[in-house]
Amino acid sequence: MRVTLTVRPREKPFLPIEAETIVPRNFLDGTDTTVWRGNRELPLDAVFSVSVEGNAETAAEVEVVMRGDTALIKRVGEYMDAGRIVVEGDIGMHCGNFMSGGTIEIGGNADGWLGREMRGGSIICRGDAADYCASGYRGDKKGMTGGVVEVFGSVGDFAAEHLAGGTVIVHGSAGDMAGAEMHGGTLIIYGDCTRPCANMTGGTAFVHGTAYDMLPTFRRVGTIRREGRTFIQFTGDIANRGKGNLFVGDCRYMD
Amino acid sequence: MIVKDVVCPFCGCLCDDVEVTVEDDRVVAVDNACTLGTSKFLGDHRLPGPIRRDGNGWKDISYDEAIRYAVDMLLDAERPLLYGWSSTHGEAQCVGVHMAELVRGVIDNTTSVCHGPSILAIQEVGHPGCTLGVVKNRADLIIYWGCNPIDAHPRHLSRYTRYADGFFLENAFRDRTVIVVDVRKTETANIADEFVQIRPGGDYAVLSALRAIVRGKTDTIPRSVSGVPREQLLRIARRCKEAKFGAFYFGQGITMTRGKYKNVRNAIELVDELNRHTKFTISAMRGHYNVYGSNEVNTWMTGYPFGIDFARGIAFYNPGETTAIDVLARRECDACLIVASDPAAHFPRPCVEHLAEIPVVQIDPYANATTAFCNVQIPVAVTGIDAAGTAYRMDGVPLRIRKVIESGYPSDEEILSRMYAMIQEVRSE
Ligand code: SF4
Repeated sequence: MRVTLTVRPREKPFLPIEAETIVPRNFLDGTDTTVWRGNRELPLDAVFSVSVEGNAETAAEVEVVMRGDTALIKRVGEYMDAGRIVVEGDIGMHCGNFMSGGTIEIGGNADGWLGREMRGGSIICRGDAADYCASGYRGDKKGMTGGVVEVFGSVGDFAAEHLAGGTVIVHGSAGDMAGAEMHGGTLIIYGDCTRPCANMTGGTAFVHGTAYDMLPTFRRVGTIRREGRTFIQFTGDIANRGKGNLFVGDCRYMD
Repeated sequence: MIVKDVVCPFCGCLCDDVEVTVEDDRVVAVDNACTLGTSKFLGDHRLPGPIRRDGNGWKDISYDEAIRYAVDMLLDAERPLLYGWSSTHGEAQCVGVHMAELVRGVIDNTTSVCHGPSILAIQEVGHPGCTLGVVKNRADLIIYWGCNPIDAHPRHLSRYTRYADGFFLENAFRDRTVIVVDVRKTETANIADEFVQIRPGGDYAVLSALRAIVRGKTDTIPRSVSGVPREQLLRIARRCKEAKFGAFYFGQGITMTRGKYKNVRNAIELVDELNRHTKFTISAMRGHYNVYGSNEVNTWMTGYPFGIDFARGIAFYNPGETTAIDVLARRECDACLIVASDPAAHFPRPCVEHLAEIPVVQIDPYANATTAFCNVQIPVAVTGIDAAGTAYRMDGVPLRIRKVIESGYPSDEEILSRMYAMIQEVRSE
């Protein structure tokens, strides 16, 4: 079954829409659901023009396609467990919060907290992702625990904060403090970043480019070869228990 | 008439030993307060009554009309923002939270632009803090990190640290060591025993290095960390460990610079580490006199200290999304109520531009930069001068703020309560 949701023009286009109901499983029972625009609860078809093709028995057979100005639609795919969501353009904050299965594919950019506290499944973002990509929630000790988030552009600050499991792959560069507090999982950044893995206690991170403002509390272990290139291996963060592994192509300290 | 033991309603120190001379319901002299506090008590040029924008000018309106306008504005809005709150009393803040819930708006206080990151850090790792009195009487080592109390909290040094007597210190001035850490040599650095100059943006690395040294892992520390020589880091760590009681105070030099709450978390974890060796505490140098109170009131009413979004009828909290700067910069809100704050003077340009495009009501005694962006302004009494109420000191101690003159202006609480009653009436229909 394919559900196509095309955003209608809005009188107040900057008001965010909260749409945690846009999850493949929910469309097995039809499209009679609601979303929130600010403090007003609205039927789904007040915000989107909705079209449905085919049938589905299970959530895994449902594909949701989102078109139009989707940049301010928040919480799409929250608690998603199966199926597929394809966002043709940009997507708002908290896309894929707590998802445990299925795939979300974003053609454009993703706003903050993409794949927050994700447990399984996969998210592919063809553009950039803003701050807190694949991170935890405020005050929480555990962030993402499973699944894969792959961003083909760059990510903002605090990507993979509190990472506890799963894999985060960034093909571009990351902002400040990627992998802060991480204690499990794998983070791979193909570009550059600043201050990676601050206060990490476990897990593994690779920075193929340069780690700027490298923290002085990572112990240099040696070098390794991986994917045809040489990485400097560190353990840290020794300000903490220091059981994490950080591999960087190059690094610069703020001395 | 001289009124004694007045509490100064300016900064988070809430000095409670101020003497105010009153003549004909006017404050004519102030003793014991610093220049900041004195100028607040002697403040003049209040707005005489409510005003409403009228073309390019202003029209005087009644309190009833102004309140009606504010109520209609909030009821019409799909995403109202209720911002400010830190320079008014707790009772008014309390009505504000009730009102935000009823109109399903976003309520945020000035914490989000000052010590919000401190609270985020405390939510992650806790807060080994204490009252100012404990520091005054016991601390033999004070660290001021990224703050400049001589300019921002002028009596902090004389009442609690550098120049204060301490019950458990024989000669407090001689026995107390003061260390100042900052990116530039401030006035406070001039009176310190040791000044540590950090490169801008380097606080996190220096805090991490100190943590590692205190844990005994000195071998990886390079010759210099963010401009601070290794020898100085080792000395500071030794001084901290050897202190009988250390107190770490920090300001926006670490909360509002690169890394934000991670800097504060690192500082708290350094203090945790030091507590394996001696007694050490850490506290934020809170700015507005009742910003701590706004966090208390919000927390005991909603579970969250600032940046609370009631759009869905329940409290949702996510600084960076539900905080005033973010809501305004993203042009999300369609109406704004500002209470006891002046965002137009402090907020980034895109936020102020959005304020110019939406209906705004300001409740404030004085014309300020935000007046230029509001549709209606409602003048009120100043808490601590012509209104009484509760405020929380920077260390979390609640104090009763007295009223020293009678002005005839309604208090924030009175105006907000009237608005709340009208909103309740409409909502119950
Ligand atoms: S230090 Fe703060 S509270 Fe004390 S008198 Fe000065 S402004 Fe007022």
